[in-house]
Amino acid sequence: MDQAHIRNFSIIAHIDHGKSTLADRFLEITGALQAREMEAQVLDAMDLERERGITIKAHPVRLNYTATSGEQYVLNLIDTPGHVDFSYEVTRSLAACEGALLLVDAAQGVEAQTLANAYLAVENNLEIIPVINKIDLPSAQPEECLRQIEDIIGLDSSGALLASAKEGTGVVEILEAVVARIHPPAGDREAPLKALIFDSWFDPYRGVVIVVRVIDGVLRTRAKIRLMATKQDFEVDALGVFSPKATPVDELSVGEVGFIVANIKVVADAKIGDTVTETARQPPAPFPGFKELKPMVFAGLYPVESHQYSELREALEKLRLNDASFFYEPETSAALGFGFRCGFLGLLHMEIVQERLEREYNMDLVTTAPGVLYRVTTTDGEVHEIDSPAKLPDAGRIAKLEEPVITSMILTPSEFVGPILKLCQDKRGVQKKLEYLKSDRVLITYELPFNEVVMDFYDRLKTISRGYASLDYHVTGYWESPLVKMDILVNAEPVDALSIIVHRDAAYDRGRALASKMRELIPRQMFEIAIQASIGNRVIARESVKALRKNVLAKCYGGDITRKRKLLEKQKEGKKRMKRVGRVEIPQEAFLAVLKVGTE
Amino acid sequence: MLGLYIHIPFCSAICNYCNFNRGLFDAALKPPYVAALLTEIARAGDGEAADTIYFGGGTPSLLEPSDVAAIISACRQSWAVAPDAEVTLEANPETVTPERLAGFRAAGVNRLSVGVQSFRDEELRRLSRLHSVDTAVAAVGAARAAGFDNVSVDLMMWLPQQSVGEWLESVDALVALDPGHASMYLLEIYPNAPLRDAMARGRWSVAPDDDAAEMYVSGLERMDKAGYVQYEISNVARPGRESRHNLKYWTDGEWLGFGCGAHSTRGGVRWNNIAATGDYIAAVTVGGQVAGRRILSGAERVEEALFMGLRLASGLDVARVRGRYGIALWDEYGGDLEPFVDAGLLVYDGRSLRMTRAGMLLANDIMAVFIRSTVR
Repeated sequence: MDQAHIRNFSIIAHIDHGKSTLADRFLEITGALQAREMEAQVLDAMDLERERGITIKAHPVRLNYTATSGEQYVLNLIDTPGHVDFSYEVTRSLAACEGALLLVDAAQGVEAQTLANAYLAVENNLEIIPVINKIDLPSAQPEECLRQIEDIIGLDSSGALLASAKEGTGVVEILEAVVARIHPPAGDREAPLKALIFDSWFDPYRGVVIVVRVIDGVLRTRAKIRLMATKQDFEVDALGVFSPKATPVDELSVGEVGFIVANIKVVADAKIGDTVTETARQPPAPFPGFKELKPMVFAGLYPVESHQYSELREALEKLRLNDASFFYEPETSAALGFGFRCGFLGLLHMEIVQERLEREYNMDLVTTAPGVLYRVTTTDGEVHEIDSPAKLPDAGRIAKLEEPVITSMILTPSEFVGPILKLCQDKRGVQKKLEYLKSDRVLITYELPFNEVVMDFYDRLKTISRGYASLDYHVTGYWESPLVKMDILVNAEPVDALSIIVHRDAAYDRGRALASKMRELIPRQMFEIAIQASIGNRVIARESVKALRKNVLAKCYGGDITRKRKLLEKQKEGKKRMKRVGRVEIPQEAFLAVLKVGTE
Repeated sequence: MLGLYIHIPFCSAICNYCNFNRGLFDAALKPPYVAALLTEIARAGDGEAADTIYFGGGTPSLLEPSDVAAIISACRQSWAVAPDAEVTLEANPETVTPERLAGFRAAGVNRLSVGVQSFRDEELRRLSRLHSVDTAVAAVGAARAAGFDNVSVDLMMWLPQQSVGEWLESVDALVALDPGHASMYLLEIYPNAPLRDAMARGRWSVAPDDDAAEMYVSGLERMDKAGYVQYEISNVARPGRESRHNLKYWTDGEWLGFGCGAHSTRGGVRWNNIAATGDYIAAVTVGGQVAGRRILSGAERVEEALFMGLRLASGLDVARVRGRYGIALWDEYGGDLEPFVDAGLLVYDGRSLRMTRAGMLLANDIMAVFIRSTVR
């Protein structure tokens, strides 16, 4: 396909603003899929994606479109993940495009992720076409949305299109605008090959599949290629495009989007953002902006049944094949036994991994409270990265303790500004900007300790704003902080899996709240249970669970011993779902209680 | 020695808390049911020695004395029933008259288990029982007059709205009535019990768990003082008046059950009869199977013998367990039992392992220690 008839674009939107539905309409109209083949939201291929209504992986789809002018175009729609955990993938996907549709829900208006992603698109010099979707809704306010696009994002809204992806109205107009307004790809077919990797995954039959956008040059089957960041060489076995089914092609030329299969064994070798070139003829520099992805949120994953440890390891290995941004290493907990410390891009990423382990691999897991990556300078001047409270050196050896900081953008109707500012202050935030935009919307920018956001920030933000405030954030650095390790002791034994790192000033409140939450969660047992929160040797809160005095004493009816036995078996089953620490049975939920303890 | 259990599934009304195998009395269904029982008993007979017969229900006292007589004599024809066998009939107070009681006694019943449940009328009404306290007291008196010297009374505690004090009133009334045996249960309200709806409508509640424990302990203490001996979690008796039939369940004995839904265990095999009355009658009439048999595994037998045996106040005898099952009790289970001993719930002195009263209240937790296999 000649360069002039290619258009590469993506759709950027806040969750639930109708991105996947619009993509489905494109597939229908261009005949990529017959209506009967369509299952709602074809692009969100993983079950989990469809269920949660979110996009986790970036999928490209090639659409053959005959414009009203009669000319044939190839439109590559590069779908982007919609969640902040995957913002790096978004950046790389946008780098593969010349334009973007900025999709805004006509009833919801501009949200924090619309804003964050629109800024990314602007930074990437993309042609942005605003689209107001869901205009069929009774609560639609398209004029208000247009105003927000101008006021909040600062984009010219005069070229905005109105559509209802659900009903199919305005969709052809969008495709026409893509052809007319988005530039064809630049780039030189004769230059040394430069192709940007913006997605990769592991396919059990073909090995790693890399998705690329060719920036310069031509990619051919059997070519010897090099991945520039990892400096590894491979031979191209197959090339193809997604239309949306994988369809083989002989070459991918400048401006085109497609996939490479090259006998690559692990996704970690084909990193998102890396540049593919030819071993024999390399460009002077790779495509700019490559970044090594680092996990930011850490938690311990433990099998409920210790004999499932090796199964868990296998499951983690398999997941890692497909997800290079996820990290794990063995960890031992006195309370929970053998398990793994795992690192994730963010909380959603963590939930997804957890759910896939439980669903696809049938694992029963205990997850400890998530924490962040702290930076500790010890008295000997060495700097350590600490991903678990257990690894924190003794207070006497710590010279400096730093925690990661995020810059968060919160977009909210003005009536909730007061409570949101209070929440940010409570969470030790530093206000950076407070902009009253026209049309009753306020953009609040705060620096916040990431640790606090991981705890329960998002839930509380949603609660106090009745769901109206939206949040986007990026980790932007570290600051020094008076942090302490708080332990929870059950019958005088410290439960390592319940230790948390917390700000000194918040420790007392958190300790009291946590001890009282534990008292609610730990069922009464045959002896009194003492629960203490302590910092070092100092006990800062104490609670007790009274001894249980009775359980069911049913009449044993007419020699029906089997019924009695089943009752006891059930009782035993119930115990298995608890973890035993010393003599105390602790239910799984207790290990996540740390998260649910608010500071109100 | 075998125990024989006869199930009578009929009731005049269904109590709102009951989930035993029972149905409303149906005059048309009774004759074929008794006939089916007689047939099943005749077919099963093998002349082995038996020393207890127990009529359970339902409400066995709804049978005519002649029915009871026919069933007992069928049992005597089928097995070598000892002359001094214990023959128990469960009776509801409102179903007995002096004449009927005399009839049951003449039929060969020598032990009457009376379902009194409470000595407070308002509590009986909440349980939708058909009798009053006066009726119950009169029934026990009439039983004695009819020649029953072995009478047991059932009482339940932790009833809706019942306080510890109110429970103890019932216990005192029980002591005043002076039966040879009493069963004292904590009421368990199963998930779909109509009593739950009644409680919601009446805004009744049950006392907190700790009060329930208090009821149990203080109720038993009063029985101690009155000279009764607790011999099982929920049973007390004057010396010599322990239920010989029920002891078979707790001492790994053998028993045969007849009638719908009856359970049997004999020679390491267990079976439960068809539960539905009509289906049971039909199966017996055509000479078909009334139960699927299951052979108990060795581990299953031992586990059950241990957790059932622990229900007895005397507990498990270490030497007997070693002799009968080849198991060194403490070597095998001591690690799991020790926390209970430390918590004062179990006593182990090298010769026996037994629960304290506090332990009896948590019996399920302790007994679960013996469950290592899963039976489905």
